[in-house]
Amino acid sequence: MKRKIIFTSLLIFSLVFIIVYAKVDNNKAREQKKTQASETVTQIGNKTIVPEVPNDKKYGHAMMPVDCKTCHDCEVPTKNNPCLKACPRKEFITIYHLPEEGPTVVSLDEVKGDYGAVAFSHKVHAQMSQMSGGCETCHHYNTTGPVLKCKTCHSTTRQRADISVPDLEAAFHRQCLNCHRQWSHSTDCQSCHVLKGQNIKQVEAEKLKKFKTYSHPPLTEPKKVIFKTNHQGGDYVTFFHTEHTDNFGIACKTCHSNDNCINCHDVTLKAIDQNTPVRKTHKSFQEHHDPCSKCHVQQIENNCSFCHQDQPAEAFNHLKVTGFNLAPFHTNLMCNQCHKQPGNFKNMDKNCTSCHNNFVKGKFDHKRVGIELNETHSDLDCSDCHKNNRFDKSPDCSDCHDGYAYPKQIPGKKAKR
Amino acid sequence: MSDNARRDFLKQVGITTAATVGLSSITAKADEYKSGEVQGVLVDIGVCVGCRNCERACQVAHNLPAGDPEEYHNRDVYKEFRRPSTHSLTVVNEFENPKNKLIPYDVKYQCMHCNHPACVSACIVGAFTKNRNGAVTWDTNKCIGCRYCMVACPFQIPTFEYDKAIQPKIMKCDFCFERTKEGLLPACVANCPVEALTYGNRDELLVLAKKRIARYPDKYIQKVFGEDEVGGTSWLYIAPVDFEKLMFPTLGDKPAPGVTEAIQHGIFSYFIPPLALFGWLGGVMWLSKRKKELTESETKKEEDK
Repeated sequence: MKRKIIFTSLLIFSLVFIIVYAKVDNNKAREQKKTQASETVTQIGNKTIVPEVPNDKKYGHAMMPVDCKTCHDCEVPTKNNPCLKACPRKEFITIYHLPEEGPTVVSLDEVKGDYGAVAFSHKVHAQMSQMSGGCETCHHYNTTGPVLKCKTCHSTTRQRADISVPDLEAAFHRQCLNCHRQWSHSTDCQSCHVLKGQNIKQVEAEKLKKFKTYSHPPLTEPKKVIFKTNHQGGDYVTFFHTEHTDNFGIACKTCHSNDNCINCHDVTLKAIDQNTPVRKTHKSFQEHHDPCSKCHVQQIENNCSFCHQDQPAEAFNHLKVTGFNLAPFHTNLMCNQCHKQPGNFKNMDKNCTSCHNNFVKGKFDHKRVGIELNETHSDLDCSDCHKNNRFDKSPDCSDCHDGYAYPKQIPGKKAKR
Repeated sequence: MSDNARRDFLKQVGITTAATVGLSSITAKADEYKSGEVQGVLVDIGVCVGCRNCERACQVAHNLPAGDPEEYHNRDVYKEFRRPSTHSLTVVNEFENPKNKLIPYDVKYQCMHCNHPACVSACIVGAFTKNRNGAVTWDTNKCIGCRYCMVACPFQIPTFEYDKAIQPKIMKCDFCFERTKEGLLPACVANCPVEALTYGNRDELLVLAKKRIARYPDKYIQKVFGEDEVGGTSWLYIAPVDFEKLMFPTLGDKPAPGVTEAIQHGIFSYFIPPLALFGWLGGVMWLSKRKKELTESETKKEEDK
């Protein structure tokens, strides 16, 4: 009897444990997904960079970073006459998916040949593509709608009527080999293909097991990059990376869309010498300067020294240069939230009310600046202390209190910001 | 009087000769293969990865000794330039890409299957045939091993089994004539993993090639090699660099056997020129004989007087 009770209680306990654990795990996963989703959304003022948008309810598909001509035949597609190209899409919902939403491993077994199927580690590849081209790197025609199967357009047989589109075998190989042959310096088949006779299901299961827990290491970004160039009298070009991504909200693919896998993955180089710089590909003058000059058109026109300086540049110090301290309230803003006219950063009104029209009596929570006003002062008008509503200057107490001055005396008590 | 008559006669002979030569050249043109029937292959050098699967597939299809599939991925062979040989009817060569050393240019070479093949023209025993589907094939049983085809070919394609003492053969790509006859793709096309080789109607391939160039103007140079070279070839190439840099010969748009063939075939076509020549010679003989007779009869008459 006693044993029975112990047994049942143990059973109940373990069941409860499993349920709770599963729920916690589930919540964790959901939270993780949430943070990932919010991380990828990029806000510029009230505009959102589209590839990071998880749904397109607010933003029509015209905002997709795709040339309209990819899907539409005519100049001005309308709802009545969308003039869609025959291949391939019908439904219009967003393409953007998190890498984790897709399959972990995909079995590519449609093509029959001398070699067996390929167990493709989809998730890791999708994670890597986040920094460059995104999903479209491979799903190049999946501008909108559910992810289409490759064979929707790419024939599974080589002998076919329409020879203008490569067949499925070629489409796969072109995608994979384009990168793989660059960093492995080989076109060997067995680095992807399972040998004939080997059980694909087994290999797939092994890969699935491996990639279930494994994720590509998070893609980190440098704070700044200092380039040493051959430019006479201005060897150094300092690029403040985080400022561009955080403050200007520029998405990775804006600059990195054509980045090469070998930047990280040149296996032969790693084997030879860790310190060897990554093999450089030749770039023309224009290719070198385009990433900067495309945005900084006015600044760098006939003015090399905007970027080329004789020593690494200091980060832009808003207080030093303009006299307006961004700390503590304005540090997390993007430049164009205040500098609304693109390209024009000068002659901003430093007065708070030039932007904040809600800085009026009763609406402004004075505690936020570190001083909680006492009853007497909270009834006053802002301009009674802040002359001419100049909040950037110290308040004047002498109008009412002889010999009083801020910050020796404060109109209330100190508060946490 | 007799002087004038002779001049007229010579004029007439001249015109008829010119006319027959002209006629024969027109009939030669009518003999051309209908372009709609000609098949070809478009080689996209911008796509080829240099895996050399085509080399192996070709060897297997032609019962030549082939190695292990993985051997062909060894890129050491690219250290020196190769030409098609009796062991490998097609070869891939590699050239450095100055823009990106990691993506070199790989170029497959084989018989181009000219629209007006010089080998067919040069073969003294008529062993070579230009087939209606574009393939240039040859009959080993007819071949006497004179190697004129090797000299004539503007692409240096036919090779000779120099290592064989008894019955050495001429060898070259036959566009997988036996396979295509059965409706199969040429072995190299069927086995290219990236479909750098596209098989199809030559006219369609030309359109496709030009479309591809227009779609990626930065990737390709504005040229389809084989469109006009030596009067056009069945195999067409598009590439990211000038073809001279890929060891392609610089050739005009005139068929390689153009001049020689025009003369040779002109002389012998329908046997009209020989007949005309002998007719003319006969005429000359008849005329001179008649003149002789006339003068003889005149002298006789004078003597009679």
